[in-house]
Amino acid sequence: MTDVTTPMMAARRRRVLPRPLIFGATILLASAVVAVFPAQVAPYDPNAFDYGALLQAPTSAHPMGTDNFGRDVLSRVLHAYTIDMQIAFFATVFPFLFGTVVGALVGYAGGWAEVIFGRIVDAVITFPFLVLVIAIVSVLGPGLVNMYIAVGVVGWVFYARIIAAEVRVQKRLDYADAGRAMGYTHARIIFVHLLPNAITPAIVYWMTDMALAILLGSSLGYLGLGAQPPAAEWGVQIADGKNFMATAWWISVFPGLAIVLTGLGFSLTGDGLAELLRTKR
Amino acid sequence: MTGEVLITAENVGKRFPLRQGVLHRLSGQPAPAVHALNGVSLEIRRGETLGIVGESGCGKSTLARCLVRLHDCDAGRIVFEGQDIALLQGKVRRAFNRRVQMIFQDPYSSLNPRMKVRGILGEALGVHKMRPAAGIPGRIEELLALVRLNPDAADRYPHEFSGGQRQRIGIARALAVEPEVLVADELVSALDVSVQAQVVNLLLDLQERLHLTVVFVAHDLRLVRHISHRVAVMYLGKVVEIGPTEALFSAPRHPYTRALLDAAPELDPARRSRKVAARGELPSPINLPQGCLFHTRCPHAFDRCRTERPELSPRGTGHLAACHLADFGKPETRT
Repeated sequence: MTDVTTPMMAARRRRVLPRPLIFGATILLASAVVAVFPAQVAPYDPNAFDYGALLQAPTSAHPMGTDNFGRDVLSRVLHAYTIDMQIAFFATVFPFLFGTVVGALVGYAGGWAEVIFGRIVDAVITFPFLVLVIAIVSVLGPGLVNMYIAVGVVGWVFYARIIAAEVRVQKRLDYADAGRAMGYTHARIIFVHLLPNAITPAIVYWMTDMALAILLGSSLGYLGLGAQPPAAEWGVQIADGKNFMATAWWISVFPGLAIVLTGLGFSLTGDGLAELLRTKR
Repeated sequence: MTGEVLITAENVGKRFPLRQGVLHRLSGQPAPAVHALNGVSLEIRRGETLGIVGESGCGKSTLARCLVRLHDCDAGRIVFEGQDIALLQGKVRRAFNRRVQMIFQDPYSSLNPRMKVRGILGEALGVHKMRPAAGIPGRIEELLALVRLNPDAADRYPHEFSGGQRQRIGIARALAVEPEVLVADELVSALDVSVQAQVVNLLLDLQERLHLTVVFVAHDLRLVRHISHRVAVMYLGKVVEIGPTEALFSAPRHPYTRALLDAAPELDPARRSRKVAARGELPSPINLPQGCLFHTRCPHAFDRCRTERPELSPRGTGHLAACHLADFGKPETRT
């Protein structure tokens, strides 16, 4: 009965970080630093007009060129990190938390709770997500906080659905019965035992959702329903540049690339977390 | 080894309803259900090992789960120290849970994969306040030693262990709360034969040292014969025969028990028989046969068996069988 440690077990225990996670987390960490200290990394004031340098192509003085007011596009892209990373986080964290708790309770309870929940899900997913959010924002009025509310009202459903499905599977396994046979409370079984085994897909979805939230925030900013000009926000910037696409492509293209890069960061992090948190049996 | 009666099952029934269509519901026919237990009656005595055997689907596991109240029974009752366990609530129920523990069949799903062994054992100790917080690490080490695992096992996850080791962790978890009764549901059927003996011997050893009462649910007749004081044979959710192990194995008093024993492969070719002791398939537990549940397969069935369901009646000291043929298998009349 000696417990032998094989090289494979040792390697498993060493917990090598998945490569996508390393790349993704590096991008996100850098983004977060820029978001917190935009003024320290940006070469110019994002809202300073320079009428001597209107619509300039990228140069060494302005690596991403200038827009129609002579504002430095690079500085505006960097400052936009503050708003866009905020959107990514705040538009998703409340749906994630609320959806997780509701999903865990619904999945565990089953029966009528599940039937009612299923109808709510149907009602929400009947409408295209963007249309529903735009409808809510138009009622509440444009602005970031109203956008968070609109996304939150709709978005929790997706998390709850993922978690409910996972908990429904987990609660039938013997370890859940072992908890019941021990006389543990339902709350302990749900939140200490089942949820840690059910939450991984929701965390992965959360990462993707943050990328989608940036797209959504930019879309709303573009439509004039999210961040308001002259605030530096990628969607607003793309909208600003749309009339100059033929002559000054850099005004829209660089914010677009920033969206792509950040989205990539979230997606890679999601993939990496999925691998890292995979349940070992 | 005949201690006082600790747990009594009285006519326990358990049904699992099936999904039914609207038309069926409107037709007014009884709702379809799997009849897992159909009036199980038995007694479990303090300090004994009671083996429960039967084919797959005979309700062994359901009975085990009812005994620890993972299922509530629909009919009859289970009495533990004079109290109907279905009525226990809150603190009293938790105390019952502590005293009657279960070990599960599947070593791969019975441990939370996200918890280290220390967490699994510590939680049981903490929730039932078995030790003050300071004493928990020491107790975890003791428990691991009890099931013959190294102390460094505490800081590992279940996936780092083999099936046999996991089953021992399951035993340690059950023992953490110092129970009086252990219900082992197919404890070793998922393990390799070489590991089975280890785990079973560990269980027997612990039973002796800790004065445990063990309900051993299994389909391996030889194993059950080897470790049990008494054996109950189940068929379609009913106990058809129960008695002291040797009496039951050497002179079975129910045709089904005989069939089970004859069906077990014999190593000695000279003793092999080609006689068919039970014909046909196990009937569906959704549509139970009328009369005796076994009459559809019994070579000795006669008219009365098709209409009247026999109850358990005495056949010798502590030996009961549910068969209309009171003399079946009686030593002197045995054919």
